[in-house]
Amino acid sequence: MASITYDEGAHLLRRMGFGGSPVEIDEVTLLGREGAVDQLINYEQIDNRAMDDLLRNSFDFSDPVDSPRFNRGELQRWWFTRMTYTRRPFEEKMTLFWHNHFATSASKTGDLFIYNQNLMLRSHALDQFDNLLLRVAQDPAMLLWLDGVTNVRGKPNENFARELQELFTMGITDVITGEQNYTEEDVKEIARAFTGWKFFHPRFDPNPYSYQFIMVEPEHDNTIKTIYDGTPWARTGNLSGEDVIVTVSARRATARYLVKKLFEFFVYPLDGSAADKATIEKFADVYMNRNHSIKELIRAIFTSDEFFSDRARFALVKSPVEIIVGAIRMLGARYNPGTSAREGASNNTLAAISIFLGQELFNPPDVSGWKLNLGWINTSTLLNRFTYADLLVVDRPRDLNAPGLWLSHEQLRSFAKKNSKKTVKRLLSTLGPLDVGGEMIGALRAYLERDDQGNAAGFALDDLTVDKKVRGLIHLIMCLSEFQLN
Amino acid sequence: MRVTRRQFIKRGAGMVTVGMVIPKLLLSDARAEQIEFTPHRKLVVIQLAGGNDGFNTVVSYTDSRYYSLRPTLALRETELRTADGASTIISNQFGLHPAMAEIKHLYDAGRVAVVLGVGYPNPNLSHFLSMDIWHTADANGAGSRGWLGKYADLALIGQPNLTAASIGSLDLPKSLGADRFVVPNIINFSLYNFLADPNYPGDYNNQLNTFNFAASRTMSAGSFIGAVNSTAFESVRGAQQVQRSVSAYKSSVSYPANNPLATGLQMVAQLMATVPEASLLYVQLGGFDNHSNQIGDKQGDRSNTRVGDHATLLKWFSEAIKLFHDDLTEHGLADEVLMLQWSEFGRRPGENASFGTDHGTAAPIFLIGNPVRGGLYGEQPSLAPTELDPAGNVKFRVDFREAYATILDQWLGADSKAVLGAQYSNVGFLG
Repeated sequence: MASITYDEGAHLLRRMGFGGSPVEIDEVTLLGREGAVDQLINYEQIDNRAMDDLLRNSFDFSDPVDSPRFNRGELQRWWFTRMTYTRRPFEEKMTLFWHNHFATSASKTGDLFIYNQNLMLRSHALDQFDNLLLRVAQDPAMLLWLDGVTNVRGKPNENFARELQELFTMGITDVITGEQNYTEEDVKEIARAFTGWKFFHPRFDPNPYSYQFIMVEPEHDNTIKTIYDGTPWARTGNLSGEDVIVTVSARRATARYLVKKLFEFFVYPLDGSAADKATIEKFADVYMNRNHSIKELIRAIFTSDEFFSDRARFALVKSPVEIIVGAIRMLGARYNPGTSAREGASNNTLAAISIFLGQELFNPPDVSGWKLNLGWINTSTLLNRFTYADLLVVDRPRDLNAPGLWLSHEQLRSFAKKNSKKTVKRLLSTLGPLDVGGEMIGALRAYLERDDQGNAAGFALDDLTVDKKVRGLIHLIMCLSEFQLN
Repeated sequence: MRVTRRQFIKRGAGMVTVGMVIPKLLLSDARAEQIEFTPHRKLVVIQLAGGNDGFNTVVSYTDSRYYSLRPTLALRETELRTADGASTIISNQFGLHPAMAEIKHLYDAGRVAVVLGVGYPNPNLSHFLSMDIWHTADANGAGSRGWLGKYADLALIGQPNLTAASIGSLDLPKSLGADRFVVPNIINFSLYNFLADPNYPGDYNNQLNTFNFAASRTMSAGSFIGAVNSTAFESVRGAQQVQRSVSAYKSSVSYPANNPLATGLQMVAQLMATVPEASLLYVQLGGFDNHSNQIGDKQGDRSNTRVGDHATLLKWFSEAIKLFHDDLTEHGLADEVLMLQWSEFGRRPGENASFGTDHGTAAPIFLIGNPVRGGLYGEQPSLAPTELDPAGNVKFRVDFREAYATILDQWLGADSKAVLGAQYSNVGFLG
């Protein structure tokens, strides 16, 4: 088991999670490629009790109708707390991938159903794709979101049938061949297969969260449907929604599309080159040959030479969540979410900032999810990233047990080294490691050494320098374009 | 949520802003094919996202097919009246949705051109692809450059002040995607600032200068990092200008806070009134994907077709346009501003079972403002069964690129062929 380099370990933790502290990075490098990936994807084996305890003490979701304790803001605080404190970062990252893939918004579904959906996506994140897709199709949030509940015999609603194909499985055209994957007729026929799909709360079930799927027979279209007519995947008969899911999940177009989405989220953007097409086909084979197992596909991708290639390094733009949670985890900053138990005792800074960076959890812009990479970047969202960096460094709470987000003086001191060069290098390493070139290192050193008149005044390792300049340096590094990349 | 937003903003208020030295711009290569910048010919684009239902926006109240296709959603002739009882009928065939009282008023004053049946060949019913087609003006929606981004690359590079911006939305619309020009995206003015530690105001210039050094570095063109870096540079440069300018805005027009489009258009007015070069502005209003609950009140009563999700959105649209137009008039800018409203597609003429409509094709677009020659243009697509496609959708009559070409040629003084890649005939709503 060959170990991997520190930079490779940092890369792996940034992509499979939200970035690691130097100690965490050292740990994964020792495990080697397969070992490290195995540990990260077999996350159910990792003890996460500290986070579970924190969640129990910080949230009260006992009653979904109790709106001060259960609402969208609280759900967002809950997820950010998970991402910040989990020891199973890939579990959260993969849930985030599916939240973006099956993008559903609480603005239409309400908070209870989006919460249930999030739990479902988390527990099936690495399942067989057919199983996950069926759960999604029968999920109350999805049935509300894409109008499944009003899709009835005689008057089908095409919303889910269209997005099932366009966004959730194959895409409009085949990723490799460019051929059209389905027709408008298929949208209509598939909409009929899903008629009558609804959900209900069992009458005597005391659990207010437990909703169940049901197919309402009188509203279901029990006539013959024909899908993908004239293609190798053609099926005809009294098809059910389940039949459609099995058919679509088995199409190679789905395998290719999923590989492309996973690559563009986790590895690097693909172009239309022959080499990239071969890459897609290689991983599409894994999906097809391993019974559509998401876990096996993920394992293949993260242990691949493509993932560890130079091309993949800093090839993506960090999402807002990766910026926010990443900085906290890499720097070892303190986020105390507080508790919902009493008014004003909680802190939802992370979720609020994320909105201004362009990613409101549980409220993606539309069913196609967030636009990744340069989609995150415009002048406003960048300024807001800089303002987040500022917020992270300027809070100096008197009460260290109070809810909030801050970097302690002791933590800052640990970053400060005996001279400006070492201090700059230490923080560029902690926040990346980032390779910014000699000139930029020089400019950051000059910043550390400059007084308020802009004159070079040298670097002294005292409390004022730590409080003023080391905080300022972290702000500036987080404003660098290199830091925006993942 | 509000608490932190306030914190975010409060952090700005305490900040000492110091004049910065703007590093030399990296623009020298771009002058070759420039066209003249016309700051007194301003364009405001209003995108209604989700697919606006054209058949209930401009109602063919004499067409029996409209009524047979929409037994519950159709607006009767007698329903084409505003809340005050004023008729919204604009011709012997058409009436505006009764929620559009203010637009009707502007129409009567000759300030509104309605182009009927706007779409494109081989219509795509995907929101995302169809939006891309409209944004890029490319038949396949290919590429990352938008039609206004191409215009910006030709006309706006090298202007020292803020000339273009997308307003009020978290994302920059693809219409404004450019190769070299970075179009600012401004969510709100108070957040649009570069902040540093308020405990050490004396260190602010050191922060700013180091930031500017970083953002002025040459990065490989076409790469993610290159795009991030040029956006970073433009963001702080623009932020300084916005912070200097927009606070000078005063207006007697009051925009209601519960109308998101009005909030966006107020920001547009604020920029136009305080930055003379601000001339290409873009706002969006979402929520038009009315697969369900297009009509009906909150109790689920569907008997009143004049209320519901669609009516609320059109009310916002109409009210915001009026207030914005009033504000422009107050600032002496109304003759300089042309507004274009578009949506990625219309909706199907036949209603669905959810009191809504599914994705459609052609729909009317609106051009509004003093420069417009008001009236009806284009042609309403036929609803006859033989004229509908297999999905039940209508055939378009006017290519949306004809409207773009009209704006580029007759308003912005650009060569539309250079921007759109082909020659399109002009529609006639200008000049």
